[in-house]
Amino acid sequence: MVRVFLLRTVWTALYAHNAAPANLPLHAIITYSTVALLMGLVLDIDQTRLLHDKLHDGSIATDFMKPINVPLYFFSDGTGEVLFHATLIVPSLILALVLVHLDVPDPGALAVFFVSFLLGYLVGLCLNFILNCTAFWTLEISAVQLIVTWVTDLLGGQLVPLVFFPAALQPVLAFLPFAAMFSTPLLIYVGRIPPSGWAAALGVQFAWFVILAAVSIVMWRAGARRVVVQGG
Amino acid sequence: MRARVMAQVYRQYWRVNVLTTLEYRENFLLWFAFTFVYHGTAIAALAIVLHQFPAMNGWDFRDMAFLYAMWMMSHALHNTFFSAVGDIPEHVREGEFDRFLIRPLDPLFQAITTPGQIFPDELMLALATFIAATIYSGVTVNLLFVVFVPLIWIGGALIDLGFNLGISTVAFWFIRVDTLRWIVLQLEQEFTRYPISIYTRGVRLLLAFVFPFAFMNYFPAAYFLHKTNLGLNVPPAIGLLTPVIGIVFASAAYLFWRFGLNKYQGVGH
Repeated sequence: MVRVFLLRTVWTALYAHNAAPANLPLHAIITYSTVALLMGLVLDIDQTRLLHDKLHDGSIATDFMKPINVPLYFFSDGTGEVLFHATLIVPSLILALVLVHLDVPDPGALAVFFVSFLLGYLVGLCLNFILNCTAFWTLEISAVQLIVTWVTDLLGGQLVPLVFFPAALQPVLAFLPFAAMFSTPLLIYVGRIPPSGWAAALGVQFAWFVILAAVSIVMWRAGARRVVVQGG
Repeated sequence: MRARVMAQVYRQYWRVNVLTTLEYRENFLLWFAFTFVYHGTAIAALAIVLHQFPAMNGWDFRDMAFLYAMWMMSHALHNTFFSAVGDIPEHVREGEFDRFLIRPLDPLFQAITTPGQIFPDELMLALATFIAATIYSGVTVNLLFVVFVPLIWIGGALIDLGFNLGISTVAFWFIRVDTLRWIVLQLEQEFTRYPISIYTRGVRLLLAFVFPFAFMNYFPAAYFLHKTNLGLNVPPAIGLLTPVIGIVFASAAYLFWRFGLNKYQGVGH
């Protein structure tokens, strides 16, 4: 909550002495950063951490013997954790609505935002799963994971909207998976992506989800085989 | 005699640190990469924002780069020499702290010299950043600068140490303080990144005189950059007081630590 206020102060100070750029007025940018912060509370959770932990202490071996679909078990565990965190956000969200006067888009845009947010979440889930799968080979991944989190926050537009980046970089960034996690849902929320652009934006997100899901499956199969070879 | 033993212990501590770093080379490189990305993203975010908005309360990107480098240097100095203070809560929880108490050296000294994988990599990165930012910002480097800047780094590191030790001391009562530490670190990042004149008066006073983050970088940077409007009714030279503030703040934290130590009764191992 304090951070919402700090965000507001920083952007207000910036807008106070300068002309508003890139047709994002002050209230839009405050809405953008606040929603970004709240999204981060969900998206920055490492939903598949359990996989890494189990590889670390070796208990993954017994999981393979159980009559369950192991990746699905990790996903359901992660989903539970995320839902729990999501309920924690609700009070912050209400406070933010009351105190900071967030813009609320019309119901259509809001619905598309949630679809986009869900796709962004799935992209993030796959990205995390792939990272945790690398623990099959390297065991220790904390540093790499933190690096990816920071890069995601910056290149995904959570810290600063991507429309503020140098013009030459923008088209590149828009097609990276990081933008699919944060920037796309946020730009839909503040209305920077008009209804005519929704289909294309969601399409790019969905494409990233399919690509990363495919990579996840390949990584998982290769990793699982490796554990069997080692005898667990 | 006691001092000689301590010096020996301290030397051994650094020997073990360096050996550990050499042993786990890949892990070290990854963490160094993380440090690099961490500061890199922060500076990149500042650069992008200030590319769109030429200035923030009269501070442009050159000024802000110097402001950031000033904080980074103090923070790195603290992390290199005192980061082990942050592990005290874990020692308390695991019961290892009780061992410190029955050994003949000062418990705080023992906590500081618990070997880990510490290497002055962040410090070197910070120094390089500071030199680059100094040149880039066009600050006049004169005798005053050369004499005071290192003292300000140390003062800033002591302010950081004050927070670190204070939080760790709370663990004598609450055992787990991870959340508190995380919150304070987040606030430190926010409050040291921008000139404090953007905040409301109450927050400014708090940052200057209660939680002296403003002395880590804002006041000194404002002094060397010749900023006149500090946002508080104080003379610009207040920025040179950082070493004094650092000593006072770290001493206050130390007194709190002694108090906590006397109350400490173990966690029941």
